[in-house]
Amino acid sequence: MNKPLTDDVSSLTNDMAAIANQRDKQALSRVFDFYAPKIHSFCLASHPGATLMADDITQEVMIKIWNKAHTFNPNTASLTTWIFTIARNARIDYLRKNGRHQSNIDPEFIWDNIVDEDVDLFREAQREKDKKMIAEGLAQLPNEQRQVLVKVYLEGKTHIEAAQDLGIPLGTIKSRVRLALNKLSICIAR
Amino acid sequence: MLNYHPSIELLIDYSAGTLSLAHSISVSTHLEHCAECRRHVSQLNQVGSHLFTGLHMTDSHSHEPSSELNSLKEKMLNNLSADIPTSETIEQAPFDTNTVSARIPRSLHQFIQQDYDQLEWTRLSSSLRVATLCTDTNGSQVALTRIKAGSHIPTHSHTGEEITLVLEGSFSDEGGIYKKGDFISRNASHKHKPVVTKDAECICLTVLDAPIQFTGFFTRWLNPLLRKHHPNGI
Repeated sequence: MNKPLTDDVSSLTNDMAAIANQRDKQALSRVFDFYAPKIHSFCLASHPGATLMADDITQEVMIKIWNKAHTFNPNTASLTTWIFTIARNARIDYLRKNGRHQSNIDPEFIWDNIVDEDVDLFREAQREKDKKMIAEGLAQLPNEQRQVLVKVYLEGKTHIEAAQDLGIPLGTIKSRVRLALNKLSICIAR
Repeated sequence: MLNYHPSIELLIDYSAGTLSLAHSISVSTHLEHCAECRRHVSQLNQVGSHLFTGLHMTDSHSHEPSSELNSLKEKMLNNLSADIPTSETIEQAPFDTNTVSARIPRSLHQFIQQDYDQLEWTRLSSSLRVATLCTDTNGSQVALTRIKAGSHIPTHSHTGEEITLVLEGSFSDEGGIYKKGDFISRNASHKHKPVVTKDAECICLTVLDAPIQFTGFFTRWLNPLLRKHHPNGI
């Protein structure tokens, strides 16, 4: 599917270096044009109609990108994945700060990029392979399996909430997810 | 090589950000020890990132941001500081990471500023101490349990789901031997009797949905104590 975007992302990856090293606002502006609509839609996917929240989170994520540009390492994660995880964390943090129940747990220190820290050539090659398998697999995924992943990743639903939304048993949700992961060659034998 | 890992559903919820923060802490701590699960979460993050990339494609609009987003952009660009980020502009951890002991997992740095010894431990028995780290919005409690080498923990069942992650030492029960980094999930149907290995004390991270119930005849007296220390305690 989103094949033509690859070139955009590689020129934006260069923009990230310009943001980090030259504090280039034009570069940030290009990153904004490409990613802000996605971040905005990502927020509206979990909270339809909450445009103020979406504006706040979009701005928050862009400022994080500006401030943390020097920590972005294209060898350990793609720019899109890096920004996706920032947006995901910002959405969690927004809900934590504005929710009915407060919590003293700061999500920033829970995720903290642990996952994409492994830097060695083997891991890099593995990551490239994973990337290809996942992109190809997602494009061929049956709609009912894709739908469940969209519920979980974009709409922020738990497996139980996804089951309620779609009116199907929890077991069916779990098996669709497992089938989907199998097709994406994410083999987790447990 | 670890033998006990979070379920795939937990890893997905963690990667999608739908897992409660209390449970996310236990998954993060496991990830620090487990390269295999790190790879899986990295793959799962890529799945999320691909779906995220496809997002605006579903809108009928072109690639250009809407006028609302453009005004948001102008406002943001004008407010940006052109300085190279310093310790003030980058969010700083509200604690000094230099003082934290190297054995404390990074996911727990926000709660443990020095070492396990400096926490406020409550003695539940001569061999068992607990220290609460935090409570999540849904009432789940994150705590550390510290058990003396060679001790038996009284038989107990759980009233909710309990996650145990071994931080130091090891213990065993009917299901196997659990070592540093192992992730064990138990629900209300389990009734188990863990034993700590003789060579060293065992420190575990626990995430509790609801208080543990001790079921042994001589250990029932512990229940009121546990309830008292659990925010959901009745």
